[in-house]
Amino acid sequence: MIDFVLPIALGLFSLSLLMNLFRLLRGPDVVDRILGLDTLNINAIAVIVLAGIAMDSRLIFEAALLIALMGFIGTVAMTQYLVRGDVIE
Amino acid sequence: MGIPVWLEAVIAILLLLGALVAALGSLGLARMPDFYMRLHGPTKASTLGVGCTLLGSLLYFSVSGEGFSVQEVLITLFLFVTAPVSAHMMARAALHRRVQAVAKTTQPPRELGRGERNK
Amino acid sequence: MALLLIVLLPVLGALFTGAFAGNNARLNSLIAMLAPLVSLALALSLLPAILQGELVLAHWQWLPRLDLALSLRMDGLAMLFALLIIAMGLLVLLYGHFYFSGKPKDNQRFNGLLLLFMTAMLGIVTSENLLLMLVFWEMTSLVSFLLIGFKADQRAARRGARMTLVITGGGGLALLAGMVLIGQIIGSYQLSDVLASGDQIRQHSHYPLILLLVLLGAMTKSAQFPFHFWLPHAMTAPTPVSAYLHSATMVKAGIFLLARFHPVLAETDLWLYSVSTVGMATLLTGAFVAMFKHDIKGLLAYSTISHLGLITLLLGMGTRMGLIVGLFHLLNHAMFKAPLFMMAGIVEKATGSRDMQLINGLWRYMPYLMVLTGICAAAMAGLPLLNGFLSKKMFFAETLQSPFTGVLGWLTPTLAAVAGLLSVAYSVRIFHNVFFNGLPRDLPVFPPRPPARGILIPVTVLTLACIVVGLVPQYVVHTLLQQAAHAALGAPLPAYNLGLLHRFNLPFLMSALALTGGLVMYLYRRQLFAIYDRMPEVDAKENFEWLMLRAGNFAERQVHRLENGSLQRYGALLVATCLVLAGSALTGLTTWGGGVTTPADPVTVLAAVILMAAAVAAVVIHRQRLLALLLIGTCGLFVTLLFARFSAPDLALTQLSVEVMAVIIMMLALSFLPQTSPRESSSLRRLRDLILAVATGSGVAVLAYTVMTRPAQSISGFFLDNSLTGGGGSNVVNVILVDFRGFDTLGEITVLAIAAMAVFALTRNLQLKERVTRESGSYWASEPHPVILRMIARPVLPVALMVAGYIFLRGHNLPGGGFIAGLVASVALSLQYMAGGLVWAHQRMLTAFRPLIGAGLLLALATGLGSLAFGAPFLSSWFNHYHLPLLGEVELATALLFDLGVFMTVVGATLLILANLGNLMTLDGPGKEIG
Repeated sequence: MIDFVLPIALGLFSLSLLMNLFRLLRGPDVVDRILGLDTLNINAIAVIVLAGIAMDSRLIFEAALLIALMGFIGTVAMTQYLVRGDVIE
Repeated sequence: MGIPVWLEAVIAILLLLGALVAALGSLGLARMPDFYMRLHGPTKASTLGVGCTLLGSLLYFSVSGEGFSVQEVLITLFLFVTAPVSAHMMARAALHRRVQAVAKTTQPPRELGRGERNK
Repeated sequence: MALLLIVLLPVLGALFTGAFAGNNARLNSLIAMLAPLVSLALALSLLPAILQGELVLAHWQWLPRLDLALSLRMDGLAMLFALLIIAMGLLVLLYGHFYFSGKPKDNQRFNGLLLLFMTAMLGIVTSENLLLMLVFWEMTSLVSFLLIGFKADQRAARRGARMTLVITGGGGLALLAGMVLIGQIIGSYQLSDVLASGDQIRQHSHYPLILLLVLLGAMTKSAQFPFHFWLPHAMTAPTPVSAYLHSATMVKAGIFLLARFHPVLAETDLWLYSVSTVGMATLLTGAFVAMFKHDIKGLLAYSTISHLGLITLLLGMGTRMGLIVGLFHLLNHAMFKAPLFMMAGIVEKATGSRDMQLINGLWRYMPYLMVLTGICAAAMAGLPLLNGFLSKKMFFAETLQSPFTGVLGWLTPTLAAVAGLLSVAYSVRIFHNVFFNGLPRDLPVFPPRPPARGILIPVTVLTLACIVVGLVPQYVVHTLLQQAAHAALGAPLPAYNLGLLHRFNLPFLMSALALTGGLVMYLYRRQLFAIYDRMPEVDAKENFEWLMLRAGNFAERQVHRLENGSLQRYGALLVATCLVLAGSALTGLTTWGGGVTTPADPVTVLAAVILMAAAVAAVVIHRQRLLALLLIGTCGLFVTLLFARFSAPDLALTQLSVEVMAVIIMMLALSFLPQTSPRESSSLRRLRDLILAVATGSGVAVLAYTVMTRPAQSISGFFLDNSLTGGGGSNVVNVILVDFRGFDTLGEITVLAIAAMAVFALTRNLQLKERVTRESGSYWASEPHPVILRMIARPVLPVALMVAGYIFLRGHNLPGGGFIAGLVASVALSLQYMAGGLVWAHQRMLTAFRPLIGAGLLLALATGLGSLAFGAPFLSSWFNHYHLPLLGEVELATALLFDLGVFMTVVGATLLILANLGNLMTLDGPGKEIG
């Protein structure tokens, strides 16, 4: 059953990735693009998790963990830059 | 492998549901008319969808031999905690940049409007 | 071991004087002299064996693959020079102590440099390995640069030092080439092998080239014509330096080289004519010019040149006796020239001048010095019963029996006699002019201050040596000289007797003639000065400076033509070079590879497509900097995914962390830049860049494709097999980083640390008050740190640090390691900076960053060195498995310590860069530098 569901889920997430990329490239504002990248990060986590299930290994889950951490900090840095003009002070 | 059928069904449903919800969120990101509406899709639906996927993975690996691991819990927790913060930060940036909004979203809450005007 | 100590003790002494003596001049000099004293004692302890004709060797491997070994040899020749170097060094140190009295700082610097120089000289004469000898050879050039430029605030001193460095350093390069050629022919750089294969080298077609190169090295060092002009300009050095370097040691290094390579290079016509011609030219030039120099040190410098020419001539004649006489004269020259230099220093200190037109009639003021100088000058002139007489007479005898035939046969002794005559003239002049010749005129210091008693000790000692060697040479130097010549020749010696030299014969007549002629010449000096003054002046210094200037300008023009400061241009040049070099190799590609490829699955294809789309988009909108940065982040994300897909989790983790860190740092930089980059290039140039970029990109793609599809034997098998057994970890990537290629990692973190320090140094005093406004012209917002962000940043930190710790600890066996963990920790900490602000976060940092970087580097280094203590090669890791209660099986590897060093360095370096770039934007920052 899982083997049957996995390709579907992966396909749906691929679709999501494409839609996020569309927003990332389209804009119109920078904030839209940041949002696109942020969502891309979140969906990438899911893709990694699904790939992990497909490979029956957790070896690449650290990558997912780091994407979650790094994605968040990247988003914060960019929004800070937009509002403040600088990242640290 | 020795996964009970009912558990396999639960996992499958979680994975499928997660993918569907996340796709819905991304659809919202792609299709909504202005930024403030678009913000809702990914930050709520996508986070939930990925959360479902992570839960499915947690169940799967708990019973498939590798055993329970804290990784998925950590990722899920982290996502759920940070998603609102990123959403807040992005909304703040958008307001600051006076990103164009359609008519339906042009009535800002009073407190926020005052705060921004004072700067 | 004794050999190594002999060489190294002086430099150790130099360290000690710096460490313990402080400003106490007396203590400083005592310590400085102690080390050479021990060195001397060690050398003397070897003397009996050497005098028996033994050869003492010491050998340590250094870089065996380059045939570079720390191997030393002590034979008669080396012993002669070593004793000369150490003994003279001791006397000069003593002299320097009084010369620099009242200037403890100068004295300390002088002692240190002199000891360093002593080690370098001892290294040259005791090296058994040619390359090692070169290392010491260059060291003498460098240290002499510092010693000659001792008074660094004087333009003349700096120029003299530079001239010496250029000429002797250039000669050193020629020598290097010569040595390498010799090594290539013989297949060994060991001196013993080289000395044994003289015939092989002489018959080789490269022999003339080798001879030319080696001679260039020797001639520049020993100030032979036409390179002699650096020596007079090096007289800007303090007098003790001149006494040591320019009479006793450094200029003798070239002579030593000639003697050392005598068995290899000599006894050919080429050697005979080239070396002896140079020697004769130097002998005459030096002797002639010396007479007319009014500066005491100038006169001594030219007379030194002349004496060096004499020795070179003797060595050039290639006879065995010639070699003995040359070495004998070398010894004598040190004995009488050094005290004369010392006299010049004493007189200069007493009167404030070195000009012999002013200094006259000093006998009233320093009668004792007059006596000493008289004896030394007499030795230099070659008066009987003194050492100079012996060697000069032997020299005349040699010229009479020279291997030259025909015109040269009688020209050589005639010229030698003329040179002898000139040397008598200038010897008389330096004595008579300084101490008699009327009364002093317009001296800067009058009446002359009497010299300190101590400063006369070394002069007295050397003067006594002149007399003793002159009276009883057979007891004092005979055996050592014989052994030295024996070692230099590598063959039995002809019979000779130093004791019979005072007898009357033809050479004695030549000496007598030279003596009389010299006296006559001195009597008519005023007329001669007048003639000399009317001669056209050739100032080597002017020519040299002109040449240096032209060379500098030329180099500058070439550099500017190539490096005009445009990064775009460098990039284009770099890429174009790669394209030409690698592209030409790629055109030879016949097959595309093929073989088994992994079938593509739809998700991977999709990820690749998105990656490409993001990359293309980044190129298209690269003028909008923030957007470009976003798209680069996207590329990074998908590269990570692809790494994860193809089972490279370590790469994925590293890529991700580096990506985010780079984006944050670039955004910091973006704060100082306009949001869009202007169009600056012409469309033609953009077309050029486009072509370059596309061609290079395709080239890389082709390269990657062909490499990946080609069945090739890679070394990954070795790593996989040995990772667990050799490095104690099952994560091959990490074991490669910390063990197999640990040395690379050490280098890389060092580079990272240097880069961080550079950022720190460049930004520490930089104040950017002007902020860049946004494109719309409005001001940046207030409310710097939103509460929500601040609140969330705090709990994120421990979680992230825990993740970092987890990644760090499991790194040796599973994906992770110090580098990734370090980046994760820095990113988590940088979030604190972003959320709470620079001041807030900085107050809460547990440690400063620079100590952290230093500690990290030291830890990594210490781990590597630790393995040496256990007899294993540098950076070998040690590991073992332990069974601990509760925790179960635990593996401890020293590699983990190394990785900790990496971790600390990475955290320190990234945060140092981050905080200092952030500090630039802060108007009211922590107030002091962040580091």
